[in-house]
Amino acid sequence: MKIEMFHLCPYRDLPPDFRERNRSVWVDVPSHLFDAQTAHRLYNETLDELVYASEVGYDGVCINEHHQNAYGLMPSPNIMAAALARQTKDTAIIVLGNSIALYNPPLRVAEEFAMLDCISGGRLVAGFPVGSTMDTNFCYGMNPATLRDRYREAEELIIKAWTCDEVFSFDGEYTQLRYVNLWPRPLQDPHPPVWIPGGGSIETWEWTVQKGYNYAYLSYSGTARGKRVMDGFWKVANSHGVDNPYHAGFLQLVAVGKSEQEVADKFGAHGEYFYNKMLHIYEGFSDAPGYRTLDTIKAGLLAQTTAFAGGDPVELTWNDLCEQGNIIAGTPSQVTEQLEQVIKDLRIGHLMVLNQFGSMPHDLAMENIRMTATEVVPNLRHLWSEYEDHWWPQGAVVRQPAGAAVAGD
Amino acid sequence: MRETHIPVRGGDFAVDVFEGGDGSPLLFLHGIRGLQWNGFLERLSLEHRVIAPCTPGFPGSTGGERLQDVHDLIYFYLDLLDELGLHRLPIVGHSFGGMIAAELAAVQPERFSAVVLIAAFGLWRSDVPALDIFSALPQDFTRAMFYDLESPAAKVMTANEPEALTEIDADSPAGQRTIDYHLDRAQSLATVARYLFPIPNRGLSKRLHRLTQPTLLVWGRHDTICPPAYGDAFQAAIAGARLEIVPEAAHMVVAEQPERVAALIEPFLAGS
Repeated sequence: MKIEMFHLCPYRDLPPDFRERNRSVWVDVPSHLFDAQTAHRLYNETLDELVYASEVGYDGVCINEHHQNAYGLMPSPNIMAAALARQTKDTAIIVLGNSIALYNPPLRVAEEFAMLDCISGGRLVAGFPVGSTMDTNFCYGMNPATLRDRYREAEELIIKAWTCDEVFSFDGEYTQLRYVNLWPRPLQDPHPPVWIPGGGSIETWEWTVQKGYNYAYLSYSGTARGKRVMDGFWKVANSHGVDNPYHAGFLQLVAVGKSEQEVADKFGAHGEYFYNKMLHIYEGFSDAPGYRTLDTIKAGLLAQTTAFAGGDPVELTWNDLCEQGNIIAGTPSQVTEQLEQVIKDLRIGHLMVLNQFGSMPHDLAMENIRMTATEVVPNLRHLWSEYEDHWWPQGAVVRQPAGAAVAGD
Repeated sequence: MRETHIPVRGGDFAVDVFEGGDGSPLLFLHGIRGLQWNGFLERLSLEHRVIAPCTPGFPGSTGGERLQDVHDLIYFYLDLLDELGLHRLPIVGHSFGGMIAAELAAVQPERFSAVVLIAAFGLWRSDVPALDIFSALPQDFTRAMFYDLESPAAKVMTANEPEALTEIDADSPAGQRTIDYHLDRAQSLATVARYLFPIPNRGLSKRLHRLTQPTLLVWGRHDTICPPAYGDAFQAAIAGARLEIVPEAAHMVVAEQPERVAALIEPFLAGS
């Protein structure tokens, strides 16, 4: 089992009445709410938290890309990854990822990921998300009708650029290049492992399994919906004879403390901030026409599995969030037990843990990272030891489970 | 009214075509809501043989995925007109269809004897606020389409809208209708987005000078989706074009004021 710390780098200082006064945290969130001095502090604290997570026992650190929003301040995760490549020593750097359809030519992603892989010594995971509809359609103006075609073409070009050892020409529908000849090239052979962050689009499952990529389901909707989606993924995977849990990952918000009461007191407001402000997305921005295929829309109508923002949920309390499994919170042993259940239920070999969420201040985030990494993570690592992880960077460390003898000790 | 399915390009497309009336031919291109044989087309068919194809990508016609952009769509329409043997006739386009009508009239001015553009997309003015139809909530979208939501015209078009989305029972007829409604709506809007997202400007302004035919522009006074200021913009770009603003109408001016719009079009076509 691999457990990684995921950071969204949220804007933590939205006003208390943000939800009442604004229709969306994304796309048209008012710019006067952004303070660059605050962002200066947030970026540096985010990097400190990620570096700390890699030092105290996480297997890897994850970052991602979003645009024009207060939910996640990393339009270019590669800039963060560059700092992490230098400041971390042995953990995986999981960029989840670059929305490859947005870059023209997408070769830019092949180049930057190759740089990161070389700088980090082969510790990069290359994430290729389609990207949320807010980011790709409404912020970056990509036509939803052609976004997925463009995405698949970009993936083909990047992989070929990484693996083809001769200059080649590329005659795509969206990108035409007479000379493709990547300098630099990735350190990992043939290229960094590819993870596909998904929000539940059913056609992504088939494609991901056929390509042999990791499917990383990023959901905040808790384990019940998570299980519906992952059951869908595994059904497709099994039909291709695939059952290795490392083929899949899942994101989970986690808060650890000395007692349930202490956890509620310390983290409650930050969990509520995350769900009630960070996910306060105007419904009209949650699904540009054509972003989802008809098959996914139909599946969504029947099972309600796919919307990123699914309208604006009613205001949720900490107790709601814990009861629904949106957040797993408690003492180290309680959290370990619940996470073990999630890992087994969803059959995932990669658990991405969100330790900093919402308005959580730096000190508390550091404490949460430390307790999770030292008192929870080591007690989950033994899971799935009978399987081999083919989706782990060649240059990243493989840590041992608690109690396991380490060679040379 | 007769409905036929016309194969185009060796069957790559099967195009749903409504046809009614016995007069001289008239081509009608539908708007963002898709093709309905409504009172307006019925009225036009009293004087004309109205030929109204459903654009591929909208429910009814197939092959929409073969068309990537406006360029592809124009050539598709030229093929369809060849298939239908239509070589000289007036073209009337509403909304999205107005944009396509203008594009076709610019590509082959000799083919179209007269041009009527009704609440047409195709130009963009950042100083004119218009509703973003791609992020509008369904209820806001519907409200913007009509001047009077309580009018019979609006009632007809909103009659099939399901209640707020709740649990859907796919096995019940009502549940199946709800699913079909959402899928049809999603498919139509996705097709509109292909040609109009994120803003409806594909360079038409660089081609409008080629519209040398008699041109009539018709706009609903209360259109917030394609406000009347766009009628002004079309008029400024097309030599000799006449602009008529229709009261008590919004974007669905053809459905809301079929008589008034037809009463503008008929004498215009008779005189041109």
